[in-house]
Amino acid sequence: MMELAKFRDLVFARGRQAGFTDMEIFHQSSTNLSVTVYKGTVDKYNLADSGGYGFRGIFRDRVGYAYTEILDHDSVEMLVTEALENAQVIESEDLPIIFSGSDSYPEFDGYNPDLAQVTPEEKIELAKTMEAKAYALDSRVMVVNSCLVASGEDYVQIENNKGLNLSHRGNGAYCYLSVVVREGDDTKTFGRFATARDFADLDANGLAREAVAEATGLLGAATVDSGDYPVILRWEAATTLLKTFSGLFSAENVQENISLLKGKLGQQIATPAITIVDDPLLPQGLSSSPFDAEGVASRSKVVVDQGKLSTYLHNLKTAAKDGVESTGNAAKGSYKSNVVVAPTNMYIKPGSASLDDMAASLERGIIVVDLQGAHSGANPVSGDFSLGAFGYLVEKGKIVRPVNQITIAGNFISMLLDVEKVGNDLNFGLPTGSMIGSPSLLIKKLAVAGK
Amino acid sequence: MAALDAGGDFAELFVEDKHNSHLNMISGRVETGTSGRDFGAGIRIFGGYNSVYAYTNHTDRDNLVKLAREAGAALAGAKGGKVQDLQVHSKANAHPISIYPESKDKRFRVGLMRQANETAMGFDPLIEQVRIRFIDENQKVLIANTEGVFAQDNRVRTRMSIEAIAARGSEKQSGFYGPGAHMGLEFYDKIDIREYAREAARSAVTMINAEPCPSGQFPVIIDNEFGGVIFHEACGHSLEATSVAKKTSVFADKLGERIASELVTAYDDGTIANAWGSANIDDEGTPTQRTLLIDKGILKGYMVDKLNGRRMDMPSTGSGRRQSYKFAPTSRMSNTFIDGGASTPQEIIENTEYGIYARYMGGGSVNPATGDFNFAVKEGYIVKDGKIQEPVRGATLIGRGSEILKKIDMVGNNLALGQGMCGSASGSIPANVGQPMIRVSEITVGGRKGK
Repeated sequence: MMELAKFRDLVFARGRQAGFTDMEIFHQSSTNLSVTVYKGTVDKYNLADSGGYGFRGIFRDRVGYAYTEILDHDSVEMLVTEALENAQVIESEDLPIIFSGSDSYPEFDGYNPDLAQVTPEEKIELAKTMEAKAYALDSRVMVVNSCLVASGEDYVQIENNKGLNLSHRGNGAYCYLSVVVREGDDTKTFGRFATARDFADLDANGLAREAVAEATGLLGAATVDSGDYPVILRWEAATTLLKTFSGLFSAENVQENISLLKGKLGQQIATPAITIVDDPLLPQGLSSSPFDAEGVASRSKVVVDQGKLSTYLHNLKTAAKDGVESTGNAAKGSYKSNVVVAPTNMYIKPGSASLDDMAASLERGIIVVDLQGAHSGANPVSGDFSLGAFGYLVEKGKIVRPVNQITIAGNFISMLLDVEKVGNDLNFGLPTGSMIGSPSLLIKKLAVAGK
Repeated sequence: MAALDAGGDFAELFVEDKHNSHLNMISGRVETGTSGRDFGAGIRIFGGYNSVYAYTNHTDRDNLVKLAREAGAALAGAKGGKVQDLQVHSKANAHPISIYPESKDKRFRVGLMRQANETAMGFDPLIEQVRIRFIDENQKVLIANTEGVFAQDNRVRTRMSIEAIAARGSEKQSGFYGPGAHMGLEFYDKIDIREYAREAARSAVTMINAEPCPSGQFPVIIDNEFGGVIFHEACGHSLEATSVAKKTSVFADKLGERIASELVTAYDDGTIANAWGSANIDDEGTPTQRTLLIDKGILKGYMVDKLNGRRMDMPSTGSGRRQSYKFAPTSRMSNTFIDGGASTPQEIIENTEYGIYARYMGGGSVNPATGDFNFAVKEGYIVKDGKIQEPVRGATLIGRGSEILKKIDMVGNNLALGQGMCGSASGSIPANVGQPMIRVSEITVGGRKGK
């Protein structure tokens, strides 16, 4: 393997020879250690150390991409010839942009040196504590089917021949616990995770308590009669929906005419209780960064302001097309990916209602804890969803029993206009590059299918 | 091997060198193209039931030995193992390739995409947009372990997915078809891609004219091919050793018991020549095989990998699969299907008084611990008095795998396989689902229209 600087020089020289004018290398590397404990022993211990190099170059106003995971002479040739071949078949009329840089960049420190000092033994200890706690809490815990503690570091560097050279390093830790509980023939399961940049913030006991309480709370769940119900989407379910439909805010989708928010800028698309923020500098965000995947400076922005759609999310290409500034939402899933538009850390701002307040206001309704199958049961283009759900039945303001084997159906856009209360319990879903979050939401009515 | 110095009784090296190419066309224009090379190695060590996995793409000898020692140290205290001499296993290649992807330039692929695009766009004026993705990959793997296995495989795969979007006003519906195979580019000589494009367009147009699906509990007829996703989700995942070994599956300890209606016989078969989910060997170096899962309703077998096989005291069924060197392998499905039965599709429809006919299924998911599944009907119809009536949209099927299997009351004679990507613990892998047309006497159907 050769050094990245030498590799970059060779690629740019070979690229220029091949006819590329603008060229960029997007380098990403990561290390990760995860431990999984099963019945008191370390069941899985995984170490990762990997990275890769994405090349893109502009050839006659067309952009071609290629990537490699190995820095050798073969890869120099492969990157340039493949990217050239890819550029030559591109027919997109959008002018690609390789960026020379923003005027200034915000400060963001996503790296906690103390976290790097946490030993594997400490992680194993935490996982064992979490597992033991879960078993100790309730005799109905049949098995802790997943108990994991992990931490990792990421490094991103963007370097191009327009003078841009940016890098960012971040780290984070997370843990996940899932329990299977059984009573008679009835089996229920629930999982909980937590992320942190300070190892001491991972609350293993709290996680175990929540997972066990929820799983046992769901024992004895049964379906309900089909019909329209007021529904409290607990933060997990609300987050699942926001994540599923976050593509509606992408200018790329708007320009391709596959977003229902096309032509809705400045209009009321949600009740005034709803404000949606996209904040790439969210302190606890594991992928928070001072710049986006094109090297544009990050900034926080309000996407929906008290129900009014105030902006779409843009990268350089979509912004140029609309004659606006990029919002710093260029994203690459990895060095293998093309530049697209994606939310960074997007969340619905919390309101004042507690979950109990919301439940107390219901004569008869359903609290949906989480939704299943969002990748298939939701149509990100039409906004329609019909998803498996579980949770609790509320009568006269009180939870009366757990509910499962139901589906909740509606349309995301019309649902935003039907939000009656916004909870005070903002939380974020499992990070997958972006972190999406929401408080619990009380929806006037949704179609529930049961029996 | 260095891996066994400190601890462990089994060690394995997996080396992968893979070339990928992706092209995306939107409404007749190639929008993006990427190619690249994945290269890396994974080292896995067992100590009894516990395992350590480490991967890197710094694959020089010194780094691999260092990684192996570090990984082995995590199993310190486990009893040591012997290292067997390597035996080269050469199994005849059951999946011959005639046109390797690298032998054709990108224009060849673009030509095929254009055919599909024109066919779908031309199908009906309601078709507003067609999105086509063309992928091909050539993955070379080498697997060596301390039991003396030294095996190599070369997996060439290609797939073209066609999504047609029909629009009327602000309403949009999509139709999808994504044929693929463990084959070179000769695959497109064996199929007529235009038929698939036409079918995707027809489905989209049908659904834009569809009314919301009624909700409630009905008999449901699920058509062949991708309809097999019901078995994949509702049952297949629960037959993977990944969940059986720790007895978190509803089907653990049930060998020899009746788990399905006697009309149901099911297999997982990784040996089908050139099929999407096939390979000569699995990612642990074990030859793939045809595994009988269910014989006339009786549970006969599980899909087993090496590690979970230890806990279950069962040999591997050649089911250890992984997305890439970045994942430790675990038991996964390959080509998994319900075998053909006696009824003709016509008989099944004619014998149904009232119910839902699911012509095409979308994806779905399952919780292996509870067996709760959900999946989306992409193209559905009402069946009344033995006849297929009007199309309905937005239907989601939910239920419990163990119950649904017993409620299969008719099995057709038109077995066919459909291609999908299956995501689970060891990443996203190509898998075929399949079945003939089947009827389930009762499933909960969730839709937006009340009863």
